[in-house]
Amino acid sequence: MKALRFERSIGRFAAANIASRLAPGGGAKVGPLRLRDIDAPALPGEGWVEVLPRLAGICGSDLATIDARSSRYFEPIVSFPFVPGHEVVADLPAPIGHLAAGRVVIEPVLGCVTRGIDPVCDACARGDLGNCERIAFGSIEPGLQSGFCCDTGGGWSTRMVAHSSQLHAVPEDWTDEAAVMVEPTACAVHGVLAADVAEGDLVVVLGSGALGLLTIAALRRFGRPCTIMAVAKHPTQHQLALALGADSVVLPHELTRAVRRATNSLALGDGDIIRLTGGADHVIDCVGSEASLTEALSVVRPRGRVTMVGMPGQVHVDLTGLWQREITLAGAYAYGTETLPSGERRRTFDLAFELVAAAELGRLVTATYPLSQYEAAITHAATAGARGAVRIAFDLRNEKERDRA
Amino acid sequence: MPRPGFVLDVDRSTPPILFHHGEGFRLERLPAGRSRVIYPAEPIEPLKNPDAAIRHALVNPIGDSEPLTALLKPGMKLTIAFDDISLPLPPMKRPDIRQRVIEAVLELAAAAGVDDVMLIAALALHRRMTEAELRHAVGDRVYDAFAPHGLLLNHDAEDPDNLLFIGTTEKGEEVEINKRAAESDLIIYVNINLVSMDGGWKSTATGLASYRSLRHHHNVRTMQHSRSFMDRHASELHSANWRMGKVLKDSGVKVFQIETTMNNNVFGTEGPMSVLQKREWEWSLTDRISMAGMKTALDLMPQRTRRQIFQNWQAPHAMTSVQAGEVEAVHELTTANVYKQHLVPVEGQTDIMTMGLPYISPYNVNSILNPILVACLGLGYFFNLYRGKPPVREGGVLIMSHPTPWEFHPVHHPSYIDFFEQVLSETTDPIRIEAEFEKSFAEDEWYRHLYRTSHAYHGVHPFYMWYWCSHALQHLGQVIIVGGDVRAVRRLGFKPASTLQDALEMASDVVGRDATITHIHNPPILMADVH
Amino acid sequence: MARIPLNRSQTTAVVKRLPINRMVANTVGRSSASVSRIARALLTEPTVPAGVHKEAKVSKVGANYDTDWARTYPARFARLIIRTTIMKPIVDALASPSLEGVDRLIDLDGPVIFAANHRSHADTPLMMTAVPEPWRDRLFIGAAADYWFTNRVLSPFSALVIGAIPVERKKVSRTAIDTSLELLADGWSMLIFPEGARSPDGWAREFTSGAAFLSIKAGVPVVPVYLLGTDEVWSKGNRLPRRAQATVVFGSPIMPTADDDNRSFALRIQNAVALLADEHSSDWWQARRRAAEGVTPSLQGPPADSWRRAWARSGPERRGGRRSWPAV
Ligand SMILES: [Zn+2]
Ligand SMILES: [Zn+2]
Repeated sequence: MKALRFERSIGRFAAANIASRLAPGGGAKVGPLRLRDIDAPALPGEGWVEVLPRLAGICGSDLATIDARSSRYFEPIVSFPFVPGHEVVADLPAPIGHLAAGRVVIEPVLGCVTRGIDPVCDACARGDLGNCERIAFGSIEPGLQSGFCCDTGGGWSTRMVAHSSQLHAVPEDWTDEAAVMVEPTACAVHGVLAADVAEGDLVVVLGSGALGLLTIAALRRFGRPCTIMAVAKHPTQHQLALALGADSVVLPHELTRAVRRATNSLALGDGDIIRLTGGADHVIDCVGSEASLTEALSVVRPRGRVTMVGMPGQVHVDLTGLWQREITLAGAYAYGTETLPSGERRRTFDLAFELVAAAELGRLVTATYPLSQYEAAITHAATAGARGAVRIAFDLRNEKERDRA
Repeated sequence: MPRPGFVLDVDRSTPPILFHHGEGFRLERLPAGRSRVIYPAEPIEPLKNPDAAIRHALVNPIGDSEPLTALLKPGMKLTIAFDDISLPLPPMKRPDIRQRVIEAVLELAAAAGVDDVMLIAALALHRRMTEAELRHAVGDRVYDAFAPHGLLLNHDAEDPDNLLFIGTTEKGEEVEINKRAAESDLIIYVNINLVSMDGGWKSTATGLASYRSLRHHHNVRTMQHSRSFMDRHASELHSANWRMGKVLKDSGVKVFQIETTMNNNVFGTEGPMSVLQKREWEWSLTDRISMAGMKTALDLMPQRTRRQIFQNWQAPHAMTSVQAGEVEAVHELTTANVYKQHLVPVEGQTDIMTMGLPYISPYNVNSILNPILVACLGLGYFFNLYRGKPPVREGGVLIMSHPTPWEFHPVHHPSYIDFFEQVLSETTDPIRIEAEFEKSFAEDEWYRHLYRTSHAYHGVHPFYMWYWCSHALQHLGQVIIVGGDVRAVRRLGFKPASTLQDALEMASDVVGRDATITHIHNPPILMADVH
Repeated sequence: MARIPLNRSQTTAVVKRLPINRMVANTVGRSSASVSRIARALLTEPTVPAGVHKEAKVSKVGANYDTDWARTYPARFARLIIRTTIMKPIVDALASPSLEGVDRLIDLDGPVIFAANHRSHADTPLMMTAVPEPWRDRLFIGAAADYWFTNRVLSPFSALVIGAIPVERKKVSRTAIDTSLELLADGWSMLIFPEGARSPDGWAREFTSGAAFLSIKAGVPVVPVYLLGTDEVWSKGNRLPRRAQATVVFGSPIMPTADDDNRSFALRIQNAVALLADEHSSDWWQARRRAAEGVTPSLQGPPADSWRRAWARSGPERRGGRRSWPAV
């Protein structure tokens, strides 16, 4: 089976890190990601089934891994070698449980149920799958999600295995493009609901990549009525942000002034703003870089909240303002079960399905590549914004071996 | 004997024509047979003895006014208001006209035993003047005598404790001006009338007014009904100010108006800059060398240096008249004297008007000509320098040349940055802008703070710049900027072109192939008298 | 050996008494009496017979020194070089002068008479470097003939370096007046210290009517000038100048009116300088208010004994600092 696989290699990690500094996505050529012919993963146990990926998205966290920029934090909760790809729409060849054969979306978190752990941990019991405390235990190797675990395989290949609890049926009339957006949408929905925006708040969404745009859409659909100010660098992002529900879209360097005016805040500095006295009620950081976190802390009001939806790493940030202004800084990872403003409890993935359909999020998949062109695919994904793209995915539907038994 | 302005018909032997282009120049060949160039008059003769002329004007007032000597009495409260940094352009060589006039006034006040004297820079919503700028305007002697005692101040249109509501005009316009001035026994206004728009009741009713009062005539409707605002009798802006003047007068505010005019000798008659006020076919070898040298040197310099060089230029323009007394009578005479220098008779309108925008406008002295000011300089000021009808026909095209950098002076123009980033990105329609955005900018606490304590233009000022353009925006079919920053030009809602040829090509889509072209050779300033 | 301060006449007397001169005389006398007698007969001026009228001999120095050559181009060039390469650096270093009111001269065209108060020898070089263009290059100075033109070495020096023409202090000399008027008519401007001499104690003397007379005669405006601090730089009686801050305040040019006579115009000039002094020590407006009330502080100081004058002049801020008593 053809697969893109991450292998543990100190030398290649170092090379990827250096290459990525020269060009984003540069890690693809020299890094630990290689196109290999490997055996398809074996079924790890009861409830597991083989699926055939159709489309698999390339996500920001994947890019960070390829460029060897992700934190060493992940080392104990992934297992090498692994096949990446956690945003997957796949074919389920045979029915399993109540699920008929057909297209499925994988909910990749590898919680207690998938690991054969019984009784499940408290988080899993509550339905907060993303917070599972057993992601390095049980019947399969450590791995926070499919696509980071050596036992499950991942979407960037022609075959992988999934637990029946991870599978969500895709409606007949959906395109594969729409379906592949469900997983990232679920992340955005979770982030938005975790932020718990109050009515009339000003919410700044940093970043207008896929995650940022999905966050805007999720805010509009599931958040309380609020003012959304999006930050977008590129014209396509700008238009999409407006289309998905942002009230205003500003360029990154315009943000501070725009927030100042929108909040009627005063500012320190003689015309050039050194610091705002007030700021936005919420900042949702969908970038997760040092710069974006700094920016978030500088435009949020005292006692405001910064929610990090984009994956950060090790960053160097001055937290004096956080202390003095009593800012809440919180993370929002993955998904599970949400409490809507109405009090209703829903699975995040169900909400994501609803949102993808309502906001026609399938349009965010800009381009697909076969596995063989993975270097081009990774480069495209790493420079998506500047090239007018949002989501890049691997298209496995035409891979030859896919039909081989 | 200085030669009057005139209109040149461009033929095949016409040399390339000078276009100002910010801190630089372009030499452009205009199409023969269908182009003409309007040249300003040469600088008219200045007064031989300006100080004597001032003293004479003060004791021989015009209109219904006593001589100043009779108006000054011991124990009286006297306020001397004077025009701010926006006049004249460029700033003049020392001594400034204001210094001459103020010293002459104070000499008389001292002789009359007047003790309570206050000097106020009548800057309306402009930025506060710095010490150096005030020293330049009123001279070191006056500055040192008054400023240390807090008797030389910048007007503050946002100081609730120092504004006085006077009344409303018959059209419901509120009149509110500087309290100290309003409560004085006499306001002496010291004016420099660079262009015909300045002066008259606009001095007091605008220069010393509050935002509450100004908004009644600084708005889109007024500007669209001022055709042009350079022609006082066809200007709604002036009618409103005159109505306010009447309210002031009726309420007992007494103004002794001193107005001065100056010639347009802005680049001197010798030195490298002098070539800029000569006619191209009369350029001597020295002129051609200095033009070539200047262009080459400027191209090599970084923008900062270029700006510094130009902003440091002090013009040798000289006073051509001074008249004092009752506001309206004085202003009639002043306007006539301004016209003597500026008016150039022009026959009929044209399809395409071209102009080279220089480095300076009233709002960027010692500062940066940001994109909004570029628009205002072209569409506000230069476009409106006409009497009768605009030199370009309705639906015609205006081509302006300016680098239009996306650059702002953060201290002077903080609200301009936000206007450009947050308002013009939404819409360039003055009516929508006024309705949707003006209030929030005008009442913004931070802008107010910067206006009152730093050197920032008032928060609402960029709106006025845009309103100033509204008559032109309504009249023109298209606006093209040659050689500008493409993004900035687009943000203004204009079309960018890299060369004049391209711009003319683009214009032909609007006005046809054989469109007539008129180039306004300004500065030195001229005013087209179009029949 | 202790240095004894001597004035010019004392110096001459001392030099005559020096032993070396007597020695020379003795030697000559002893060597050959006859030769010496003949020589003496030839060298001494012949006596004049009683019946013959001898034309009075005209001195080539003093008030009669002819300075025309000092206004030829080579001399002007030399003066320019001396002024810019020697005088200006020294003045700048010693007096670091600050100039005020130069803008008042902007409308002036043609020759003027600069009339300044006089406190120090530093005044002349200071003014020569402080007077703005275009007057600086065509400036001449009326200098006391009995001081600056006493001999054949000093006279050309004065004429060349400071552009001086000799003026007699005690009487009105036709030559000086004619020369001055000619030069003014020729477009040359004049620097004059109407007090006639340096002030002994820092307070000014009464202004004489010389400047007024020339202004009226030549129809040339007078620019009043107030000099301050030059006596600190080089006070009368001190052998050497010191570093101090000097100020030159130019006033607005004044023209004699039809009613002015020499005396009244001289007074106006003096008042103008007094106004400048007041303007400098308070401010322009206060000075004008006082002038209007006729209470401008007099340049001549309080009419009292010299200690009170000195006391008043030193001012509270200067007491305890450097003393400014008159030199004795
Ligand atoms: Zn992802
Ligand atoms: Zn669990």
